Amino acid sequence: MPRGNLITSESDIAITVDNAGDEDEVSSCYEEHEWGKNRVKGREKEREKKKRGNARKKGASRAGRGDEELEERAERGEKGRRRRKRDNHDGKGRERDEEEQAEEKSGRAAKNKKNLKNERTRKMEQEERDTEEGDAKRKKKNESAKREEKKEDGGKRAVKEKANAVKTKKHKKKVETSSEQESSEEEDVEEEEEEEKEKELRPESLSPEELEKLKEAVDEKKKLIQTLRGKPWPMKKKLSTLRESQEFLEKYEGALGKGKGRRLYAYKVMMTKKWMKFQRDFENFKTACIPWEMKIKEIESHFGSSVASYFIFLRWMYGINMILFGLTFGLVMVPEALMGRPYGSMPRKTVPRADEASAMDFAVLWDFGGYAQYSVLFYGYYNNQRAIGWLKFRMPLSYFLVGVGTVAYSYMVVIRTMARNANESGGGDDNSFNFSWKMFTSWDYLIGNPETADNKFASITTSFKEAILEEQESRKDDNIHLTRFLRVLANFLVMCCLAGSGYLIYFVVRRSQKFALDGLDNHSWWERNEVNMVMSLLGMFCPMLFDVISTLENYHPRIALQWQLGRIFALFLGNLYTFIIALMDEINLKRKEEEIVKFNMTVWEASLYNGTVPENSTAPPVTIHPADVPRGPCWETMVGQEFVRLIISDTMTTYITLLIGDFLRAVLVRFLNYCWCWDLEAGFPSYSEFDVSGNVLGLIFNQGMIWMGAFYAPCLPALNVLRLHVSMYLQCWAVMCCNVPQERVFKASGSNNFYMAMLLVILFLSTLPAIYTIVTIPPSFDCGPFSGKSRMFDVIQETLESDFPAWFSKVFSYASNPGLVLPFLLLMVLAIYYLQSTSKSFKEANVELKKKLQMQNEENKKKSKRAALKAAMDLEEARKAMTQAAEQQSNNNASPQAQKDGGENRSSSQRLHHGKNGRNATPLLTDQEGQLPATRAPVPRTYHHGNHGAPGYLPGIPRQTEARVHRAPSLQRH
Amino acid sequence: MVSPAIALAFLPLVVTLIIRYRYYFVLFYRAFLVRVWQDCATGLSREERAFQYVLTNATPGDPDSILEAFDQWCSKVEFISNIGPKKGKILDRLLMEQSPMTVLELGAHCGYSAVRMARCLPLGARLYSVEMDQRNATIAEKVIRLAGFDDDTVRGPSLKMHCTVDFVFMDHWKKCYLPDLQLLEGSGLLGKGSMILADNVLFPGAPNFLRYVRKSGLYEWRIHQATLEYIRGIRDGMAELVYQGIK
Repeated sequence: MPRGNLITSESDIAITVDNAGDEDEVSSCYEEHEWGKNRVKGREKEREKKKRGNARKKGASRAGRGDEELEERAERGEKGRRRRKRDNHDGKGRERDEEEQAEEKSGRAAKNKKNLKNERTRKMEQEERDTEEGDAKRKKKNESAKREEKKEDGGKRAVKEKANAVKTKKHKKKVETSSEQESSEEEDVEEEEEEEKEKELRPESLSPEELEKLKEAVDEKKKLIQTLRGKPWPMKKKLSTLRESQEFLEKYEGALGKGKGRRLYAYKVMMTKKWMKFQRDFENFKTACIPWEMKIKEIESHFGSSVASYFIFLRWMYGINMILFGLTFGLVMVPEALMGRPYGSMPRKTVPRADEASAMDFAVLWDFGGYAQYSVLFYGYYNNQRAIGWLKFRMPLSYFLVGVGTVAYSYMVVIRTMARNANESGGGDDNSFNFSWKMFTSWDYLIGNPETADNKFASITTSFKEAILEEQESRKDDNIHLTRFLRVLANFLVMCCLAGSGYLIYFVVRRSQKFALDGLDNHSWWERNEVNMVMSLLGMFCPMLFDVISTLENYHPRIALQWQLGRIFALFLGNLYTFIIALMDEINLKRKEEEIVKFNMTVWEASLYNGTVPENSTAPPVTIHPADVPRGPCWETMVGQEFVRLIISDTMTTYITLLIGDFLRAVLVRFLNYCWCWDLEAGFPSYSEFDVSGNVLGLIFNQGMIWMGAFYAPCLPALNVLRLHVSMYLQCWAVMCCNVPQERVFKASGSNNFYMAMLLVILFLSTLPAIYTIVTIPPSFDCGPFSGKSRMFDVIQETLESDFPAWFSKVFSYASNPGLVLPFLLLMVLAIYYLQSTSKSFKEANVELKKKLQMQNEENKKKSKRAALKAAMDLEEARKAMTQAAEQQSNNNASPQAQKDGGENRSSSQRLHHGKNGRNATPLLTDQEGQLPATRAPVPRTYHHGNHGAPGYLPGIPRQTEARVHRAPSLQRH
Repeated sequence: MVSPAIALAFLPLVVTLIIRYRYYFVLFYRAFLVRVWQDCATGLSREERAFQYVLTNATPGDPDSILEAFDQWCSKVEFISNIGPKKGKILDRLLMEQSPMTVLELGAHCGYSAVRMARCLPLGARLYSVEMDQRNATIAEKVIRLAGFDDDTVRGPSLKMHCTVDFVFMDHWKKCYLPDLQLLEGSGLLGKGSMILADNVLFPGAPNFLRYVRKSGLYEWRIHQATLEYIRGIRDGMAELVYQGIK
């Protein structure tokens, strides 16, 4: 293809339009000539010639065109015929338009002729194949045909102005043609394609009509794109059509401005496109910004949505912990570290002399003793100074409010999420249409892994089997006593297990207290970490035992899962509360110790002052190093330390189980399988499955511990953030690398709120002990932000008194008067009750409505079925009547012609039957005719062709009626 | 020194493992401990003991009674990895449906499956049986003769077979399933529509075999789920392959 010879005209959009319009016009002229039949016949020969030499022509025309855009288009046309097919429709539409116009504007005929002449000459050139020369010649001829300005905007505009009057007429027509086009789309495309080729070939002038048509076509395409979804085409066709239309639009949409505004319009269109693209990119960017989204999606595709739901839950938890961490870090730890008194300035901020030697040892630091204990990480380090630094930051108040705020925020978030989930679930009833639900909704469309898909498939089939079995079993009941006995037995075993684990923990905690009294250094690492170890181990192994026990019960797996979750929940809760109770004992011990220390302190101080200085100098002149000052046991720090240790050991156990239980096992199974006597992968050890419920529960309880301990150890949220972050990566990796998809892939959506409810319960249960300690136990006298106060919440009162104006505290004291608070509480309870009852009634109404809808649906179904039946019967009857009429006639005429007629539309056997019937029933015919009106009575129900039967009774025209009857069903369908 | 409390915390794990894998423990006890004990006590091999039991308890010439005696011995006295009555029913059904004229058995062991198959074969069909161990082979031969089948029906492997094999039953060393299958393919003994039935593909398991079958595309295959013979609670399966030939 002679690309080098292209005429170098401005590759402007205007020009493009020009040429495109030219094409259109030429083609339309052609069609005019073809359809209108008032053109010279010789043209047709030309046309055929053109068809034959299409490829050559294309090349030539391209050379002549000199417009890159158009050339591209032609190329594309060569490549993808499908696109042209699309264009064909436009062409067809235009054709018709043109056809109609043909009569109207004969004034344009001369111009068209010119056009055609030009076309002819061009064809001759094409045959010459010398593109360069042809180009030049064509130019010349163009000039001779007085169309030299065709390539410039101005000239075209002039033409447009000339034909303005015609345009207005065309506007009216547009509507009709578009509808015509719609219907013509499904018609045969073959011949149109040829015409289309021609159309594309002719790059001639553009008249306003053509512009108009182009506009129309663009509108058409837009409409097509919008309605494409509803078309009954195969997806392939849809896609290709869509692509074609979009290409078309892209190319020509910009061209549709008028004259001067065209460029602006093109620019505008381009900008909207850019903007849309930007928006889409931005959406993508936003998705990419969601942390771990891609990872979770990948896991979802491999393991189904239930495993993914765990990770989503983990991420959600991470977000909450981030906020808790921000609160404690920004409002408590950083201010204290920056503005509070530095380390070593006070006894509470100094490591005591006895511990100094080992304070930096790793073992001590790992236990959060030594320097870690005397740092911002724990409660005891904080000073009770009311305001610190140049900001006058109210440290104790901030500490208290952050403690309350974290809990309040957590409540808010959990409850809000629960409410949202409850809205989403929408309360579908599980009992009706069980099988339909299973049939149509059980596939998980996010699965992208063949193995998981296989598993899902298997699980669906098993669920079907189970459901069928269930249906069968719900009717008959087998040995109910045995199952009952087994269930009771299972629960008894579980209770024993729970009690045993609870007792073990209690025993261990008591023992650890004894060790603590003896001094930790005398005992081994195992003994010192006994509590955490035992708790973690029990938390790990008991669920397995429960799982084994639950096979006794023979529950449906969904119910079994809930029982299992409930039992694990009870176990964890029992362990946690045993731990807390033991901790309470320890707190009491510490408080007794504190009393003694307090007494000793006074003695010590007295001795100090007495021994060194005369009594009258009150200021302590002797500077005792703060490390030497005796101090109380500070139970708050102890509690914080315990929780931190618990979290650390919990985390460690989780990770180690992950590494050993999953990774090591997977490695062993994978590589020992080459030299083992049975199949390790499919048989006994196998790969592990991801235990969603256990992991979720672990997460929930971990969070509960955070909530419980965060008040006494501000570092806990930070630790938890770290832990969650690591476990996100570690678990993602472990799942992808060493787990296999579950055999029963559960749908996640159902249990989401179940987990949330658990979280809420845990939140409540974990804030309970924290609140109890805050409210009832007086803080230590020499450590923490509340030291010296009788209760921790006194800090609020103090702030009210000293930092707020007097009237405010007065108002507050009035407001906190029980006489005001009680009615307020009562009002709240009433409001809650009211809201709940209204929501309940709404729910009932919803259910009622749903039922009604169902009923109506069924009714409609029945009705339509009945109608269809009736229509069919009517039809049958009408047909019978018709045949009888025909037969009668044939009998009357006694000619074979009638029989032939009947044979055209009906099977011969039927005809035979009717024929026989008719022949036999000739004497009855009068009777039949008498009956006919009665049988016909229902026919008008079908409305569409109420009178179609009428001619059937005229014995003269049997064929016509037959044809009508046969067409009737299709009409009805439309 | 690990404290007793920590050791106690492992108790649930131990209990769980015991309960979950009890069938495997039973299998280990019956198939290994009892066998070793009996070998030492009687000086006879397991197969010989089984044959003695069959001799004393079964009616000669009656295959059904011999099979029943075997089942009795395997489930009550000791354990021998025969095909067993439940999976045997599947085998019977397949043989009845196929009615093959030439059957090849790999791994006769003590003749249980040979008797079982010979009993279901149509008239004029031949069963070729292969056993690796000499002592087991003699016992198998004795059992087969005891059941009343002669050389016309059941033959040793020494004969060179020229026709294609209609039915192959594999129940020998699980590692050999795959190489033997490939050998069969290579030798051209398999014709279109030949059926291959492989026992114990899930529990002792022949993963490579299954993987090959899945991938090769030469076979139409399915797995009959069942439990291990004579032991409840261990899942096992038989793979049924139909050779499609090279397309």
